[in-house]
Amino acid sequence: MVNINQNVIEVKDIGKEFNGVWVLNNIDFDLKRGEIHALVGENGAGKSTFIKILSGVHCQSSGNIFINGKPIKFTCVEHSESSGIRTVHQEINLVPYFKVYENMFVGSELEKSVGGLKIIDSKEMKKCAVEVLNRLGVELDIDKTTSEINTAMKKIVEICKVLVYKPDIIIFDEPTTALGQEERKSLLNTITTLKEQGISIIYVSHNLEEIKEIADRVTVFRDGKKVALLEKEEITIDSIISNMLGEKTYNSYIREKSCAQEEEILRFEDVSTDLLKHVNFSVKKGEMLGIAGVVGAGKTEIAKAIFGLDKVKSGSIVVNGNKITPTPDNAIKNKIALVPEERQLQGIIPNFSVSKNVTLTYLEKWSNNGVLNSKSEYNSAVKYIDKLSIKTQGPEQMIKYLSGGNQQKVILSRWLVGDFEIGVFDEPTKGIDIKAKEDIYILMDELSQQGKSIIIMSSYLPELIYNCDRIIVLKDGEIVGEFTTNQDNLEEKICKVMLGGC
Amino acid sequence: MIKGDKIQSRDWLHFSKKYGTALFGLVVFVFFSVFANNFFTINNQLMLLRQMSMLTVVALGFTFVMAAGGFDMSLGNAAGLINITFGAILIATNNFMLSLIGALTVGVLLGLTNGLLVAIIGLPDFIATFAVGTITVGLKMLITKGNPMSFPQDVSKAALFVGQGKIGSIPFPVILMLILVVLVAFVLEKTRLGRRIYAIGGNKVASQYGGINVKKYRLYTFIFSGVFLAIASVMLTSRLGSAQPLAGEDFMLDTIAAVFLSTTMFGEGEPKAIGTFIGAFIICMLTNGLTMLNIEYYFQYITKGLVVILSVLTSVYLGGKLKKS
Repeated sequence: MVNINQNVIEVKDIGKEFNGVWVLNNIDFDLKRGEIHALVGENGAGKSTFIKILSGVHCQSSGNIFINGKPIKFTCVEHSESSGIRTVHQEINLVPYFKVYENMFVGSELEKSVGGLKIIDSKEMKKCAVEVLNRLGVELDIDKTTSEINTAMKKIVEICKVLVYKPDIIIFDEPTTALGQEERKSLLNTITTLKEQGISIIYVSHNLEEIKEIADRVTVFRDGKKVALLEKEEITIDSIISNMLGEKTYNSYIREKSCAQEEEILRFEDVSTDLLKHVNFSVKKGEMLGIAGVVGAGKTEIAKAIFGLDKVKSGSIVVNGNKITPTPDNAIKNKIALVPEERQLQGIIPNFSVSKNVTLTYLEKWSNNGVLNSKSEYNSAVKYIDKLSIKTQGPEQMIKYLSGGNQQKVILSRWLVGDFEIGVFDEPTKGIDIKAKEDIYILMDELSQQGKSIIIMSSYLPELIYNCDRIIVLKDGEIVGEFTTNQDNLEEKICKVMLGGC
Repeated sequence: MIKGDKIQSRDWLHFSKKYGTALFGLVVFVFFSVFANNFFTINNQLMLLRQMSMLTVVALGFTFVMAAGGFDMSLGNAAGLINITFGAILIATNNFMLSLIGALTVGVLLGLTNGLLVAIIGLPDFIATFAVGTITVGLKMLITKGNPMSFPQDVSKAALFVGQGKIGSIPFPVILMLILVVLVAFVLEKTRLGRRIYAIGGNKVASQYGGINVKKYRLYTFIFSGVFLAIASVMLTSRLGSAQPLAGEDFMLDTIAAVFLSTTMFGEGEPKAIGTFIGAFIICMLTNGLTMLNIEYYFQYITKGLVVILSVLTSVYLGGKLKKS
């Protein structure tokens, strides 16, 4: 008989040391059957290391793990997996030209024997795939090619991929990143469904509202230590934040005043691309304009249109009264900056040093007749490391070793050195910790005070509401609403327009 | 104490990952010096440098392509087309400069074709450059029917000097090679052009988002590759004293080997000019040393292949170990 209150995982006094540095100390943790136990903490607090120990990527340096009461030490990922633990990773790793059901079974293909030869059993796999999807209460055509489905559905496929192994324990690492409001909600429902089916869930997220909504208990990490275990009734955003930040006080950031001037600096005139349909809007000097919409609504496509990364099929983009031909070159010449959404893919040059990443775009500034002055590159990097408090060993450290928030600050520096006039920031705080987020908000405010215009694309409405002067809402590539941010119940109003309910 | 050991072993790992390939070359060098008579002599070393000079020059061009994350499979086959262009013009005019310009023009055209197909139109580099290389095979055979073209008796001195001349006791090809190594090292590491090429190789999409004209710079790398191939072909033809349609076919595999060694040379995954130079040295040293040891010709190929696998393996293995520890 399974005891409903039995701890499926019990962790006692675990520590982890890397090269003499203890990144985790004395962690106690337990996971009950059929509960959602959330892990929170700033970047670098130790959550990731902890998860990696549970999933067998790292081995603990001290302490014990018990699975269903039995002591165990994971030496490899397969070992953890055979104990019924599976992880749904933050990144989506699907084979784009495989069908949905084929992706679900990558690595666990079902076979049948035909005349002694083992061949793929598509029929059985399809049957199982439908069962798994039904279990989640999700409708999805399993014969669709994976490249045809949206991000939220891809996430579902990732979950199914894990479910075909019938795990007891699932670790979710930032599952809702990159999802819009609506998709976020339905994914949370899916995860709750899994819990109701008796699966125990460890849930890692930066999104505290989400955690408040679905977590049964919350463990808070800070500086490699467990600082709090909150029971269901104790979970409030304030209680989590005060534990996360410790001594530091936190007020959710709200920008004080608008710096928008009269002069118009950028205008979209009836712009259409593959996804955008007849988009018209304008931005004033010093204004902060928010662009809201669910994933796939066309937020990123606006940035891509300005930079000519998507072909502008009709209409025109006007900067300072002049129509520009959108190419990356022209955008930069017209003092437009682009901080892209996918930091890893579109932002950083991973093997380049922090310094080289900073100077990438405006390299002319550090060169004379094409010859680089590395000393002055180094000095500029030092200046911005200091100015934006970027945590790094120094300008020579490779950017891939920095945390997400610090990488993002490096990308911002890349543009700040160039003295841009219009900043296009696509999901600028995606996947980064509260402190870094606030730093970036404050920086954006400073920029607007200097008369720079900023366009922020975000899936997280409060971010837009607290920062922007004005928000335009996109749906299926069209502008469906425009709001000034000085009104009540704005989030609700925008949601309605964004989701197209009424 | 234990901690100290640990740090030491990690430092050693770092060091061997960073310099593993070069160290490996040094070990082979010492081995030949001890066991092969006449290997470690000034004469043989100069000969070795002269033998490697053409390979190094081709590989320097290829280094640009690989630094930008591309590949060029046309080099070996296209060498012959440049050889005969140079030879034909020389035979017709006996003017070295004209012949050189002809050879360089074919190199540029080759690079433009590759670059147009790969960088501008966006075909996969492996397939497109391989196909271009195949076309050059057809062209050179069509023109020569496979026969070499001998230089005239009174051939211009300059035409022979490029491959056979000496300044003092140093062969001219060696000097030319060294100048080009320094030049490429400078361009790749100290100029805007080089930085952007490395950026594209590091992350093509991010480079584009960062405002770099990726197509243009990738096109440049293929043109550089063609031009360096042309220089090497002229050196080769001058050395041989006749234009051979089939000469230079070995460039392809040896170049790939040299530049791959270069990418693992300093542990960062970026090919550098000096790395390419050492890579080419290792490849040619094997041929030279094994010949001195009277090892049969076909066995040299086997050894060369094994050495490349071993050195890349070492680097990858050490890199993996470093990540885990």
